[in-house]
Amino acid sequence: MLGLLAVLVVIFFTAVTGLSRAYQAQRQSLGSRWFSRGVVDLQARRFDSAITEFRSALLYSRDNYAYQLNLAEALIGLKRTGEASSYLVNLWDRQPEDGLVNLELARIAVQKGQTEQALRYYHNAIYAAWSTDQEDRRRDARLELIDFLLSTNTRAQAQAELIALEENLGDDPTQQERVGDLFLRTQDYEHALGAYRLSLKAERDNGAALAGAGLAAFQLGRYPQAQRYLQTAIAENAGNALIAERLKTTELVLAMDPFRRQISVAQRHKIVVEAFDTAGKRLQACSAARGAALPTATQTSLGNSWAKMKPRMTEGELRRDPDLVEAGMDLVFEIERETSATCGNPVGADEALLLIAKLHEAS
Amino acid sequence: MRSSYFAQDDKLSKKEDSLNLQNNSLAGVGVENGSSVAVKTANGRSPKAMLQSVFREDRFFLVLSVFIGVFSGLAVVCFRFAIGWCRLYLLGSGVVLSRSRLLLAPTLAGLVIAALVIHFFPRTRGSGVNQTKAALFIYNGHIPVRTAIGKFITAALAIGSGQSLGPEDPSLQIGATLASVLGRQMRLSRDRMRLIAPVGAAAGLAAAFNAPISAVLFVIEEVIGRWTAGILGSVVLSAVSSVVVMRWFLGSESLFRIPVVQLQKPSELIAYSVLGVVGGVASVMFSMGIATLRPRCKALPLWTQYFQPALAGLLIGIIAMLGAPQIMGAGYEAMDEAMHGRFTWQFLALLAGLKIVATLLSFVSGTPGGMFAPTLFVGAMLGAAVGGAEHALLPHLNVSPGTYALVGMGVLFAGFLRAPMTSVFMVLEVSGNYSIIVPVIVANTFAYVISRGLQPIAIFDLLTRQDGLELPSMEEQREEGVLHVEDAMRPVNVPVLDGQETVDAALAEAETSAADNLLVRLNPDGWGCVTRLELRALAAEEQGGSSLSSLASSSLASDSTSIGPIPVLHPDHPLEMALRYVDRWPVVPVVSRADFRQLEGVITERDVLERYREFGEG
Repeated sequence: MLGLLAVLVVIFFTAVTGLSRAYQAQRQSLGSRWFSRGVVDLQARRFDSAITEFRSALLYSRDNYAYQLNLAEALIGLKRTGEASSYLVNLWDRQPEDGLVNLELARIAVQKGQTEQALRYYHNAIYAAWSTDQEDRRRDARLELIDFLLSTNTRAQAQAELIALEENLGDDPTQQERVGDLFLRTQDYEHALGAYRLSLKAERDNGAALAGAGLAAFQLGRYPQAQRYLQTAIAENAGNALIAERLKTTELVLAMDPFRRQISVAQRHKIVVEAFDTAGKRLQACSAARGAALPTATQTSLGNSWAKMKPRMTEGELRRDPDLVEAGMDLVFEIERETSATCGNPVGADEALLLIAKLHEAS
Repeated sequence: MRSSYFAQDDKLSKKEDSLNLQNNSLAGVGVENGSSVAVKTANGRSPKAMLQSVFREDRFFLVLSVFIGVFSGLAVVCFRFAIGWCRLYLLGSGVVLSRSRLLLAPTLAGLVIAALVIHFFPRTRGSGVNQTKAALFIYNGHIPVRTAIGKFITAALAIGSGQSLGPEDPSLQIGATLASVLGRQMRLSRDRMRLIAPVGAAAGLAAAFNAPISAVLFVIEEVIGRWTAGILGSVVLSAVSSVVVMRWFLGSESLFRIPVVQLQKPSELIAYSVLGVVGGVASVMFSMGIATLRPRCKALPLWTQYFQPALAGLLIGIIAMLGAPQIMGAGYEAMDEAMHGRFTWQFLALLAGLKIVATLLSFVSGTPGGMFAPTLFVGAMLGAAVGGAEHALLPHLNVSPGTYALVGMGVLFAGFLRAPMTSVFMVLEVSGNYSIIVPVIVANTFAYVISRGLQPIAIFDLLTRQDGLELPSMEEQREEGVLHVEDAMRPVNVPVLDGQETVDAALAEAETSAADNLLVRLNPDGWGCVTRLELRALAAEEQGGSSLSSLASSSLASDSTSIGPIPVLHPDHPLEMALRYVDRWPVVPVVSRADFRQLEGVITERDVLERYREFGEG
């Protein structure tokens, strides 16, 4: 009797196997058909239709990785991140090394303000496996991470990521320019200038790179270099107000710096006298702007010093007493620092004097 | 041939049991140590007897259970294919269904189902759980093969066309029917035949659910109603083998993608308690809907039964057309989506309500199909809705709707189907995550207690009574009080003699006592009982100088005396055990488990009967 049962089991098993093959083949075919339609709609950014089609495909193969991933992407396209997230988390459980899944999860975490999660997923994406263009995808993921870090004012971490990125960047001028921009945002002007220069090596007339290099050089206090870059940049893009303003300031700095080389003694004395007058006006304007508020003790003291030194601050007196140049410019720098602290950032000649003060303070 | 073989074997087995009982009775331990006697009797047999012993019916039953599991698994796989094809050809292949199909498919299928049920398969109405219980308790395990065929066809058509019913209970009934057919072909004894339907039921349910533990528990909890070693092995074997077959063909993926289970803060248990309360109330509404509507639909003229499933299908189609197609069919895809945050909590709550309505319509119309999947659907939607509402009220809590949906499934299982143990293990087995156990137990307890309080009769008992049957209520059995010996015993009110005493001394003491019976503490251990008349008879036979112990051990006493040894009871023994002895011995000693010589009390037949009478009077 048991033998007969065993034979029956074999017969029924065989029959059900045939039935199962037909059933599964049909389901696979239906799933593939719906999936293909969904991919077309996803590429055409018809997210609603794509979602319906991917859901239909999932009816026939609920655990299919590609179906779920595409559905998640379509859901993200419609900003239904909560739902997309659940699919992505499931996929992540199955393949935690998938780059795209990690990147999408990182983006969702950014939207939700979950910084730690975002960083974890971004790092996973950077070191994850990508099906195509692995290096490019990893680099893009890192760039996106840096953007995110800068948006959260985590400059030190962003700078570290940028340095890591720079090492694997190659000679692509566009990428170098982008990295330069990011270094500029992290206030790492040295690396920024380096990246722009690499970009300019390949594209000498790249206006954006020239502007970036000019701005980086300006921030580094390398005004002659900044002037060269900014002049070329403004020639490429005359309408850029920021570059024009920076160029103007650069030129003022270069013109108003009495300590620069290759100028005559007479010219230096003239610059010092003009700078002294400019600083005095700035001090008066600042005190007046404070209105009823009493001037600070430092301002009063600076005013007294300025008034005391003013009669001696002539070109003739400077010729007789060369030490007065140093003393006069020290007072000018002190006035500019004090007034910028109490009355806000200066513009024009005062800004130039402040920058010169910083330049010489550093040196 | 087979029949006579098993009959002979049955006799042998009964003889062994008899010896076993006698031996244990004398040792005063009831039937607790039976195996040693069985080994002794087997050792003395011939090789033929040994061979017969190896292929005894209980062992054959285990082998047969595996075959039952395999056949049930194959049947359930085919059933799933049939539902899939019906769904595909009746409703279409996509998730967005055309309006005409939404209305026509369930309506027209309803007409066909009604005709099939009325004319060909009248026993296929309903879910199938009660029919399996009826086979166990009324029909000696007999279920006609036509039932399985009918259930297969009509349930596949119903579920595939969008009626709000599930495939699990029909699978259970198909498995039970196959088991019954196999049992009949094998000419099993009546005892085994009775048990074979639950074995098949477990196999069918396990394959449908892809959850063998839950299936075994459900069958034990709701169909058989008691744990016995004899049946447990068979049920487990059949369930496991059916699941293996099912996974062979359909893969091991669970019914839905399991979300990441999170219980972040213990304070979330409050929210789970709320879910338990909501689930309990929903369960009561669901049960009361069936209790009210089903008899009324059955009472309608016969001709209306041709149209009831069609009308239910039409109304379900209209609900689907108005924006809730998720309620059609078993609804596992919608449960999956709810677990993964697709719907707003308001829509989830609406879906739960609409599913209750749709399932009521399908079920009370007599359409064959199961209640498991709709129960899980309602639970998942309610759970996710409560989770979503909590997130809306307390946005800082990172609530996972999937976890709430999973817990919600258990809640409705506990509240509506009243299977509390299965409900907990079902969620654990489906989720594969033990960190969910605390929320599940908390929520299920609330749901079960509320449901039990507001709806005293469990749904399966309700359906049984509506069908005019009187099957044992598993819930009542579970909650039934058990009387123990200590509830009936009385303080020692008879003289207790020492075994060293002589008959003359004992008679002297007996003559001064009002009691007719005396207990004797025998040496080195054990107890005996003797009456005053027996002592007088012994003295008349010139045995007055003999000690009571020597008379008990050497059986020198005449035929009219029976000094001992007699069985003893312990206070924690069930009272029914006392019934085995009190009719043979006028007084039975109740002794301490720590010291058999220490008397805790005595019990007589009258004590037992009086206690039962008091218990019966409430």
